[in-house]
Amino acid sequence: MSRARGVLVGGIVAVLAVGCAGLDVGNVLEGGMKLVQSADTFRGAAAEIDEPEEVELGRAVTALIGSRYPLLRNEALTRYVALVGNAVAIRSDRPDMRYYFGVLDTDDLNALAAPGGYIFITRGVLGLMRDEAMLAGVLGHEVGHISLRHHAKSIKAEKRKAALKTGAEVGMTFTRASVLTPAVGLTIDGLGELALKGFSREEEGESDGVGFKYAAAAGYDPAGLRDFLQTLKDRGGKEAAVSSFMSTHPGAEERLREQEAAVAKNTTPGRRNAARFQQALARIQKR
Amino acid sequence: MRKATLVMATVLVATAASLMAAETTRWVERTKVDVRAGRGSYYEIVDTVLKGEQVEIVETEGGWVSVRTPRAKTGWVFAAALSAKPVQPGGGSDFFKVAPGDASTSRTAASQGAKGLYAQDYAKAKGYDYTVVEWVEGHQPNGPQVEAFLKDTAESAGGRR
Repeated sequence: MSRARGVLVGGIVAVLAVGCAGLDVGNVLEGGMKLVQSADTFRGAAAEIDEPEEVELGRAVTALIGSRYPLLRNEALTRYVALVGNAVAIRSDRPDMRYYFGVLDTDDLNALAAPGGYIFITRGVLGLMRDEAMLAGVLGHEVGHISLRHHAKSIKAEKRKAALKTGAEVGMTFTRASVLTPAVGLTIDGLGELALKGFSREEEGESDGVGFKYAAAAGYDPAGLRDFLQTLKDRGGKEAAVSSFMSTHPGAEERLREQEAAVAKNTTPGRRNAARFQQALARIQKR
Repeated sequence: MRKATLVMATVLVATAASLMAAETTRWVERTKVDVRAGRGSYYEIVDTVLKGEQVEIVETEGGWVSVRTPRAKTGWVFAAALSAKPVQPGGGSDFFKVAPGDASTSRTAASQGAKGLYAQDYAKAKGYDYTVVEWVEGHQPNGPQVEAFLKDTAESAGGRR
């Protein structure tokens, strides 16, 4: 198939796919026509992203996250969370990635991964944990999303949607005058919502699997994630915050069963580091 | 006779030097790679190399390679970021779509991206507080702090504290 025909077919498939997602059909068709007219635009939308672009998108998504939740600007606690995060991240499949960790000042229960290595955990989630192994398990799960490049697929999808809506170049093309195009803005909006609302059930399961592995490789008791999920289950639907966490991390029951099975197979003991964790967490109360 | 021996020795030395250089030369395979002061992404950046640039290997350890950059800086990069064969400059995703083959422009684009100018524009347009990004990036542990933490963690191994 020639490149032009490939682009045309790809464009039609993309138009249909987005149309099924419930967008305004008129806009979609108009966008689709623009898309077919500009093969380079679609090629840009489908292109693989590289790490600098991923990091830049991550920065923008971090700014968006910061608009939804206040950042807890506690230096000691942030450094502690980042130390545990780095201990796990260097055992990941992307150990050369620069990871950044932050704590969000909210009772809401959430842990999120933005593209480019930006990972956040809420004060509410930290409050449910008993030791460092649980923290390592949850951070290992979030590192997993980045390590497995779960954002890449979403970035492509969001770029396509943005291209269809604007008919414009979707890459963050470098120009000396203006760097932010409406298409780039739409792409970041979509990625931000994804980071806040969570990944698919399948991706959550994949991240659990590698998170377990990373935490164990870092020397932690890999049962930490299982214990955290169990804690959530024990609190059940009694709290709105727990229900909210379950909605952003789908399939909690099944994930708990999978973690139980992985823990049962694991024969290597690991550390819990409860005292160090409690000492670090006391910094929240002291502020 | 003596002259022939001298020529042969010169050819041999040149060939050996060429082979040795080929063994220690690598080309950057990724759009932009930070060269760091230690074997970890949390160490400070001593230089940045771009796709297609040539580096010389100093030593290799645990998946990381110490390299000398074209700007005579020495630091560590992840081995997977390098190729044993020459790599064409440019490419990458749209983010660095600049004048093809213009290394200086690519370098400018890379450094501008590294400073977060694109994300800053987005945050400004949306009315978001970009200091959130700056604060998070500015309050991460450095290389020695991470190494000390890992050492402390390793020393507590076996104790389920």
